[in-house]
Amino acid sequence: MIEHGSRLRQIGWVAALASCCGLFLALSFQVHAVKSEVLLAERQLIALKQETLMLETEFQARANQRQLANWNAVEFGYQAPRADQYLENERQLASLGSSLGPAAPSPIRIARADLPLDGELVDAPREMVSPVSGKPVTLAMNGVEPAGTGIAETLGAMIAEVSPVRTANARTLLDAEASE
Amino acid sequence: MNALSANAAIATGRVQLVTFRRQSLAMARWRVLWIAVLFGLIAAAAVLRIFYLGLADHGPARTSLEQALLPSRGEITDRNGVPLARAFPAYALWYNPRAMSESGSPLVKSPQEVAARLAAIFPEIDEGRIADKLASGTSGYLRRRVLPEDANKVQAIGELALEMPRENDRHYPQGMLAAHVLGYVDADGQGKIGMEQVLQEQLADPATRGESVPLSIDIRVQGALEDELRRGMLAVNAMGAAGIVLDVDTGEVMALASLPEFDPNAVTSEDLVQSEEAAARGETPRAFNRVTNHVYELGSTFKPLSIAAAIDAGVIRDFSKRWNAEPVEVGRFTIRDLKPKGETLNIPEALIYSSNTVTARVADELGADRLRRTMMDLGMHERPYIELPARGHPIWPGDDWRRLRNMTVSYGHGIAVTPLHLASAYAAMVNGGIWRPATLNKLETADIPRGRRVYKSSTSARMRQLLRMITLYGTGKNADAPGFRVGGKTGSAEKPGAGGYRRSSLVSTFAAAFPMDRPRYVVIAMLDEPRGTVASSFQRTAGWNAAPIVGRLVPRIGPLLGVRPDDTRDVDLSDLRPLVPEKH
Repeated sequence: MIEHGSRLRQIGWVAALASCCGLFLALSFQVHAVKSEVLLAERQLIALKQETLMLETEFQARANQRQLANWNAVEFGYQAPRADQYLENERQLASLGSSLGPAAPSPIRIARADLPLDGELVDAPREMVSPVSGKPVTLAMNGVEPAGTGIAETLGAMIAEVSPVRTANARTLLDAEASE
Repeated sequence: MNALSANAAIATGRVQLVTFRRQSLAMARWRVLWIAVLFGLIAAAAVLRIFYLGLADHGPARTSLEQALLPSRGEITDRNGVPLARAFPAYALWYNPRAMSESGSPLVKSPQEVAARLAAIFPEIDEGRIADKLASGTSGYLRRRVLPEDANKVQAIGELALEMPRENDRHYPQGMLAAHVLGYVDADGQGKIGMEQVLQEQLADPATRGESVPLSIDIRVQGALEDELRRGMLAVNAMGAAGIVLDVDTGEVMALASLPEFDPNAVTSEDLVQSEEAAARGETPRAFNRVTNHVYELGSTFKPLSIAAAIDAGVIRDFSKRWNAEPVEVGRFTIRDLKPKGETLNIPEALIYSSNTVTARVADELGADRLRRTMMDLGMHERPYIELPARGHPIWPGDDWRRLRNMTVSYGHGIAVTPLHLASAYAAMVNGGIWRPATLNKLETADIPRGRRVYKSSTSARMRQLLRMITLYGTGKNADAPGFRVGGKTGSAEKPGAGGYRRSSLVSTFAAAFPMDRPRYVVIAMLDEPRGTVASSFQRTAGWNAAPIVGRLVPRIGPLLGVRPDDTRDVDLSDLRPLVPEKH
């Protein structure tokens, strides 16, 4: 009985050893497979970097300073900025709108819109206009119902309030809406 | 008996048969066994090999990422990291007549036909010469550099003998720009002429070549400088031109140009050596750097340096004092003004009208020793300080200056220096009086040299006023770029020739700094032998050809270098303004 048990145990040990060896082998194979994948990836990386270098150099060669200067002379005609194109600070900006002193040169004209003559609409806020198309813009927010009284709705509104992500509310009127 | 004998015979025969059969069987068994053993060995070897490959780390010889990406030669960039020179795996076009077979025709088509196809891809090659090369049957380069797209076209010809080996080549993406600063790399991989030669060890050493070397130059400024110099040079039909933009506070060279230039991507022998006829005409090879290697008598641009020395020494205290402006006679020699402006002139007028006589008299009062000391402090007696290998030795009048020599040096004659000397001296004159060596390496704040004091700070402030007055009221009006507060001095010197000065050939220079209320950069523009053309109103002097170059250049480079045009600022000239008449 003891002999039988010890034989079984021996077989058990051998089986355990064999399975350990098998696992070790499998793991080793796995490690080396990953290693060669890394090697392959490295090679691709090198190839890509070299291609980037080549393309970058080609770009630099095609866009060299002399070429750009020639294009500018023939095609674009960009010029260096003049002194009057700079504003040094807010004070200089504000000075453009200050009232004129005696014997001052002619004032800088500021563009402004014409007001209606009858005067009743003077205080009313002017309609918002798209700077691109010139058509009136309505705020989509105006049509939204105020938040409900339920706790869940209030919470949702609070979350929406503090959330840094906002959806754009302004939209241009559709042609059909505008013509109405 | 018969039966017995027969029986015995049968028995013997049967025994033999049985023995034979047993032997054959044994042999067959052995053979099977041997084959099985053989198969077993092969299988074991294969399994062992699998284990070996799977477990041992014997992949194909692997190179690390850094090693594979290490360039064959280090990269050179400008101060903002724009690549100026990099190792570039380029294609070459190599003719290998033995590619097809050891004997027989190396080409499928006729050499003439192949040469015609190649000429269609590269229009600049000589078709006849290529055909001869192909027909001769000797291997060699047909072309050293081929673009990838052209390489594809060459492959499409379908000739095995046209090989496209990949070679590590040095490429200069900006072409001819800053050629004299960069230099080139010869066929042996040795840097020549410019920073390629200076940085040879650093660029070739595997330990250091992985990192790019930043130079002090700004390629945008360099492009603008070369553009404007070339335009100015062509407009007046000059033989050559030189220009430099120098940071007055650090000595960093922002741009350095010498025209005509060479192409570092395709250096020819004519760029390096020239024919004897060209030398007789006074020309220099294209690779010759006029800024650091050529010495010129720079003429009137020296006057502010001498006047500053006199202010520093206390010889000039009262700027309204009238100095005698009549011709000075020293021995047999007479110093005159080009355009006399009256019998007496004060110091601002002397600079505005560029008076030789007043400057000579001031120098005479200052004394030869002190002027010589100042010139030596400004580094005029030795080769210019810069990394480039090509640095010209000034023609220095020696230790013992006689009276006449002192007078002529004060207005820039009898001493010949490079334009770089002048740039460093002007930087010292306007930056508060500190002279610093020029450098082509990008400097960190901690690396900026302390320099040596040449002028007092107060003298420097005075010189800013005086230089600004020259561009406002004097010979430098054409350089007064609006809003940039440019100040500078013209200089037009006759070139020395056989038996005295040649009246027909001038070197005209404009040495400037901007913005004068707080100088940041010195700009020098120099033209070698300009002619009077329509563009310069038929004038040959610097005010008409070199000053306009600076006037056009400064607005282009100022905003790039952080100098904003501003009409509301300038140097305070209120104390000197009344000394100059309103009309001139």
